[in-house]
Amino acid sequence: MLSYILRRIVATLPVMAIVALFVFSLLYIAPGDPAVVIAGDQASPEDVERIRQSLGLDRPFLVQFGSWVWRILHGDLGTSIFTNLPVSAMIGQRLGPTLSLMIVTLLLTIVVAVPLGVVAAWKAGSLIDRVIMGFAVFGFSLPVFVVGYMLAYIFALELEWLPVQGYTPLTQGFWPWLENLILPAIALGCVYIALVARITRAAMLEVLQQDYIRTAKAKGLGQGGILFIHALKNAAVPIVTVIGIGIALLIGGAVVTESVFAIPGLGRLTIDAILRRDYPVIQGIVLLFSFVYVLVNLMIDVTYTLVDPRIRY
Amino acid sequence: MSEELLRIEDLHVAFSTRRGMVEAVRGVSLNVGAGEMLGLVGESGSGKSVTGFATTRLLDAAGRVTGGKILFRGQDVTKLRGDDLRHLQGAAMSMIFQNPRAALNPIRAIGLQIADAILTHKKISKDAARAEALELLRAVQIRDPEARMNAYPHELSGGMCQRVMIAIAISCNPALLIADEPTTGLDVTTQKVVMDLLADIAAARGMATILITHDLGLAARYCRRIAVMERGRIVEEASPRTLFSTPQHAYTKRLVAASPTATSRIEDLVTEEERERYSAVVSKPRLEPAHGTPPLLEVRKLVKRFDQGSAAVADFSMTMAGGESVGLVGESGSGKSTTSRMICRLIDPSEGDIVFDGQSIGHVASRDFHRSPLRKNIQMVFQDPNESLNPRFTAFDCIAHPLMRLDGMRAGDALRKRVEECADRVGLPLDLLPRFPHQLSGGQKARVGIARAIACRPRLLVLDEPTAALDVSVQAVVLQLLDRLRRENDIALLFVSHDLNVVRMLCDRTIVLRNGGIVEQGDSRALFDNPKTDYTRKLVEAIPHIETGEVLAAAL
Repeated sequence: MLSYILRRIVATLPVMAIVALFVFSLLYIAPGDPAVVIAGDQASPEDVERIRQSLGLDRPFLVQFGSWVWRILHGDLGTSIFTNLPVSAMIGQRLGPTLSLMIVTLLLTIVVAVPLGVVAAWKAGSLIDRVIMGFAVFGFSLPVFVVGYMLAYIFALELEWLPVQGYTPLTQGFWPWLENLILPAIALGCVYIALVARITRAAMLEVLQQDYIRTAKAKGLGQGGILFIHALKNAAVPIVTVIGIGIALLIGGAVVTESVFAIPGLGRLTIDAILRRDYPVIQGIVLLFSFVYVLVNLMIDVTYTLVDPRIRY
Repeated sequence: MSEELLRIEDLHVAFSTRRGMVEAVRGVSLNVGAGEMLGLVGESGSGKSVTGFATTRLLDAAGRVTGGKILFRGQDVTKLRGDDLRHLQGAAMSMIFQNPRAALNPIRAIGLQIADAILTHKKISKDAARAEALELLRAVQIRDPEARMNAYPHELSGGMCQRVMIAIAISCNPALLIADEPTTGLDVTTQKVVMDLLADIAAARGMATILITHDLGLAARYCRRIAVMERGRIVEEASPRTLFSTPQHAYTKRLVAASPTATSRIEDLVTEEERERYSAVVSKPRLEPAHGTPPLLEVRKLVKRFDQGSAAVADFSMTMAGGESVGLVGESGSGKSTTSRMICRLIDPSEGDIVFDGQSIGHVASRDFHRSPLRKNIQMVFQDPNESLNPRFTAFDCIAHPLMRLDGMRAGDALRKRVEECADRVGLPLDLLPRFPHQLSGGQKARVGIARAIACRPRLLVLDEPTAALDVSVQAVVLQLLDRLRRENDIALLFVSHDLNVVRMLCDRTIVLRNGGIVEQGDSRALFDNPKTDYTRKLVEAIPHIETGEVLAAAL
């Protein structure tokens, strides 16, 4: 098992290398002279030249790439053009809120979506099933910002149960931290919950038709035991896959959600960096997200082997 | 009869389908005494399994008991709910199923699966349940039970899985065990071992058993009493001896006649009207090939290795003349399917050569063989007509496809004529041609598969267990069809099967394979009547025999 995980980690290295190359090339794929692009519309030729010098854009592409990778391997993501702060420090500052939002959303999704999917599959065709699946379609079709503003209006402005906007770090207490994350997590999780509930239902329906479920019934096992012990684990592979893929969805959704709820996270930083053409920051963030995604994929693959003894690599 | 355990009175079961309610069981009455083994025999769709599932309350959601009673120890099973039902299921009454591998949860260790059953019904600790599970594995004679406790179903053979199922079923000492086709799909030798074990356990524990099977021979071997079902009704109930010597009901007569025995000939298997077309062909003398004609197929020292492992097929050589039929028999894992696929050029041999009609084809890569002009001369009929037909192709498309691919025919009247001619040759009614596979019966699908294979007028047909998924009466018709085609068109048949009775009837010669090597070969009848090796003898002895003979022919 350990050797398998090690092998998989080694196998992710080329993927990361390609991602790095792509992220670095962002600047060059964009049309025009990178230095001019960064400097913006109103820059004088002197400004452009200065930027070119400071970023080393006058050197050959591979040399630039080499030294960029070398710096990243030493933990140096470069310096923001706009704020002159180290990119790693800027990301570090914003990591907490985004990570909090994603984890709370992820937990909320699993806790809500999986049981809903299981119940829908168990009662397939019934009213409960149709209601759940109806909500799922609803969750799919509503954009995050619509749900976000609606939630904020109802629960924060009208009922005043929860704060409208903002973020409090976990260091200042669990409830203040969670309080600020509930509405954003629901808004962000809507699509995700719908997706996972649907997949859970489909995977469970498939499993519930299998002969071994009949065997479990023949043994006299109760309905709960059959659903959650015998069927859910068998249905886990597609569910885990979708939860993992959904993390990419969350990253995208976090950008919007953070804007709606004024959470000072990576999403906001990304938007700001793009608007300011702050390439070192954009590169750093994209690299981080890619890294997270590769890591999640690795975790999914490892989970497969834990869930299903037939999967061996 | 001993004390009565189960009494089914006028049971009706209906399924709601898209076309409305369909009655699967219409008025079945049965009784089973304590410790008795009753055979419930019928073909697919006869309602025998549905009766079993209704008794154990495992009917699909679509199925409902619409009438009658199932009295188990005087209590009506159909009315039980909640906890009462759970005390019944797995504790007082249990069930084992066809296809044991699918019946076990693939991702749960087998020790746990047995312990699950124990823990559901007994208030004992997990460790104690585990210890009991281990004892049960010993009881079902699984070798090295301590190690097997942590094994998963995919690591065990089909026979082993069925033993585990038996262990689960007997874990709480039920009074009644319903075995639904417990050995279908297992090798003949494994079949015998598993059934013997089941019978021993049932006898030792005084457990009543209902053996649900399509195999009359199997039921006759293990049951004192057999009930025959047809279309939801029990048509006859008698001891095996009476059933075989003087079957009363027409359906029983047909079923008994269609079950191949050690002495039956193909023409014995079907009724008068089906026989006519066949007899006309059989009576014609076969042209013996002129002396010195080169063989149609010559296989020389064929070897197949998968990965780096030991050879799946080693040093296999054979020859076949045109129009000859050769049987290839052996247990699963003996390499018979691998060999047949190499000869069909679906997989590549590791060593050796295949010569077809004087041309060496062993070295043509299997992925290029479809371009060879010889492709249409070697065709295959596959095991499961359900799985081997494209569900989106109509019967017509299925038969037309090879004609278009291999004979270069274009859609049009000529193609239509050829397809209809093929359908006619296999006895497939022309009005079925526009239908999709799911709209056809098993026998009709088998005919489509054969029509597809003979469409390009091949000279060699390789048949991989072509009747294993079919009911005996359908099997009889298909066998007759194959034999007729062979005689009419001089098609050589290479018949891969584990059913020795069928091979004996259909094949002039038989080759017995074991672990990839030839154990014995020769004239079919001589080989089976007088096996020279222990392995062949074991195979022959494992076939459930039916005492029949002339009595039966007279009965028809």
